[in-house]
Amino acid sequence: MPLDVASVKVGDALPTLQKGPITKDDLKRYGPAAGDPNPIHLDDEFAKSAGYPGVFAHGMLSMGYLGELLVRAGGSPASVRKFRARFAKITWPGDALTCGGTVTAVHDDGAVRLVDCDLWTETQTGERKVTGTATLALPRA
Amino acid sequence: MIGRVLSTGSATVTADHVAAFADALGDQDPRYRGPHAVAPPTYPVAFMVQAMSGGMDTFQELGLNFMTLVHGEQEFEYRRPVQVGETLELTGRIADIYEKQSSSGGVLDFVVLETEAKDGTGATVFFSRNVLISRRA
Repeated sequence: MPLDVASVKVGDALPTLQKGPITKDDLKRYGPAAGDPNPIHLDDEFAKSAGYPGVFAHGMLSMGYLGELLVRAGGSPASVRKFRARFAKITWPGDALTCGGTVTAVHDDGAVRLVDCDLWTETQTGERKVTGTATLALPRA
Repeated sequence: MIGRVLSTGSATVTADHVAAFADALGDQDPRYRGPHAVAPPTYPVAFMVQAMSGGMDTFQELGLNFMTLVHGEQEFEYRRPVQVGETLELTGRIADIYEKQSSSGGVLDFVVLETEAKDGTGATVFFSRNVLISRRA
């Protein structure tokens, strides 16, 4: 359910979204679709040669999941005005992500109500991997 | 170096590509499918490699270590969603360059790239800002 424009307030939770567990096949699908040829997400041997234990998820894959959360919360792709993510920790194959968010500010601007949010992805062990912020514009009824 | 334009170019948004991108996110939203679809919010990342492609010489000039290059942050500002069928004019430039000490004592190089997309009428569709981090070898 999208946020209710009339009653949305600071502290409200955005409806959570479950994604994953992320598989290596997910990464093989995402890389070409996103135009990202970096083998560090696709080839375990290459990732090891770069000093990682194996392939890891594109930061933008997690941001894409948070984008789905935002569009659901805002009710429309057009509701997303600003969207920022920080790839603080690496997301690994096998990680199951809970995407969440909370409302941090609400203010009106003409025909829309602007809703600022904090966002995050969290693994099954409660570790936050990607954090972010966004501004949604909800039409005022 | 800061302010240098890395590339300009255009990209046409196809229904197949937008649907494949949504599929790769496991996002079933029907608004991302079909000839009148719009694109998911993070779809503009698909243009970034193109927008940066003119920048390889610049990256070498900066001495960035490709083996350890990671995407640290990403920011989008949207005027409206990207639409299937439209052609966007893209301009990529270096917005900032700085360095920081890493917690392990090494030096991290930060490069901030900015991309602006305009539609056929010259109106801005989105701005993208990405921060790339490279561990100095």
